[in-house]
Amino acid sequence: MASEDDEFTMLFQDFYPSLCRFLECLLGGRAALAQDLAQESFLQLHRTAWGTLPVNEARFWLYRVARNFALNEFRKSNTRYRLFDRVVEVMRPRTRNPEEEYEARERQEIVLKMLARLPEDQRVALLLREQQQLSYREIGQVLNISESKVKIDIFRARTALRETWSKKARAFSANAGSQSTLEM
Amino acid sequence: MSCECTEKISQLIDGELPEIEARTMQRHLNECSECQQAREDFLSFRSQIANYIPAISPIVQAEGLARIVGRQDRIAPGITSGKPRFAWNFSFGMAAFATMFVLAALVGFIVYKATQNNTTAPAQVAKTNPVPASEPSPKPSPSDAGTRQKDRQAPPNKPAQPKSSTPSIPRRTPRDSENFAANRIKPGSNINSVNESVRAADMQALTALHLEKSELLLRAFRNIRTGETESAEIAYERKQAQQLIVRNMMLRREADNSGDVQVASLLENLEPILLDIANLPDDAAPDDIRVINERVERKNIVALLQVNSTVLARAMDDD
Repeated sequence: MASEDDEFTMLFQDFYPSLCRFLECLLGGRAALAQDLAQESFLQLHRTAWGTLPVNEARFWLYRVARNFALNEFRKSNTRYRLFDRVVEVMRPRTRNPEEEYEARERQEIVLKMLARLPEDQRVALLLREQQQLSYREIGQVLNISESKVKIDIFRARTALRETWSKKARAFSANAGSQSTLEM
Repeated sequence: MSCECTEKISQLIDGELPEIEARTMQRHLNECSECQQAREDFLSFRSQIANYIPAISPIVQAEGLARIVGRQDRIAPGITSGKPRFAWNFSFGMAAFATMFVLAALVGFIVYKATQNNTTAPAQVAKTNPVPASEPSPKPSPSDAGTRQKDRQAPPNKPAQPKSSTPSIPRRTPRDSENFAANRIKPGSNINSVNESVRAADMQALTALHLEKSELLLRAFRNIRTGETESAEIAYERKQAQQLIVRNMMLRREADNSGDVQVASLLENLEPILLDIANLPDDAAPDDIRVINERVERKNIVALLQVNSTVLARAMDDD
């Protein structure tokens, strides 16, 4: 029916970019794979649950399904998709200033690497909180876990990121110090 | 550092603390430098994660939506209905139309061959004229598929024969369809294996079409005329390359999954060239165009595309 398709199209246009962002961070920057899984999630929604869920519930359903698809991908070999990473460089939004672009890309790479070190459940909870601004209750609904587990996962994720970041900062300082010693 | 306080900071910045506890933590923050640092760090990570920009292709997004809702007019939002319906251009609609013709011809040929094999009644074939569809078929192409389909449906130059005696071509009945399905499904398998074989045929047809379109694009790109210093207008080739990249990725993954090393390798070699063309500005410099063409020549991509698309098309005929 035209009106159902129009509603679905609006949902797609609204949530597809944020779902891609969630998946891309979850998958360590694999943009093409993130888009594939995002489309698969919407396809599943359209085929199985569309028309039976309110829009808010549909959003949670999408993230739940997308996360499950991502989990399946983790179990497969990572090497098959190494060439897809080339697409990341093509598809990234370009700024006019090459320096700004370089710095922005560096920052994003660092974020991805730090997120990749987190356990999957902590990473998912943190992404849903920081990117989608879901409450602990909503995150628990999406992931089918308790609110207290969400609270602990997010706190542990943030603590782990702090530790990783401070290690990198110490390593950087140590390198800078040894280089300056050599120069002397 | 007090873990309890840091955990509360985490909940505070998420707005998950009850109001009284939140006020208590705010007062604590004013006095505790460690918790202030923790809050700053948490908010910094939040900013970096929330500001992450994904690499989304509008073309991929639009094609994805079209695939999901099954409507071709969603592929290019913004294009008005004033576009001529039968404009002969190299658009996605024409490619889809051509693909449907090729697939319909393929399915019709498979069904016809199967009914020929499954006929149990004494063979009653016209003695004078051969059955047109048994002749070797030329390489299928979008322009030819429709003609071939018409040829099969209307056998020409058959002498009139009374229906009560010997019909030249056995007429298909619903029972024939059941027999066809029953014979196609091997014992121990199920409808999924039939679907798989049809899906494999679909992918072959799509791959052949994709290779042909890529070959045409690279030939057109090779023929772009530029002066020594003036740039060339390549918006059309860029757009084609962007569309082909998406399909290339999908087909390469399918080839990997099905173990077709030759096709997967060809698509893998083609992909960076498509990416480079898609990444050029609309007014590309002559040097940029020359570099890409030199790479195409070195890898002999055009010839490989032509050979492989022909091989795939013949393989579909043989099936």
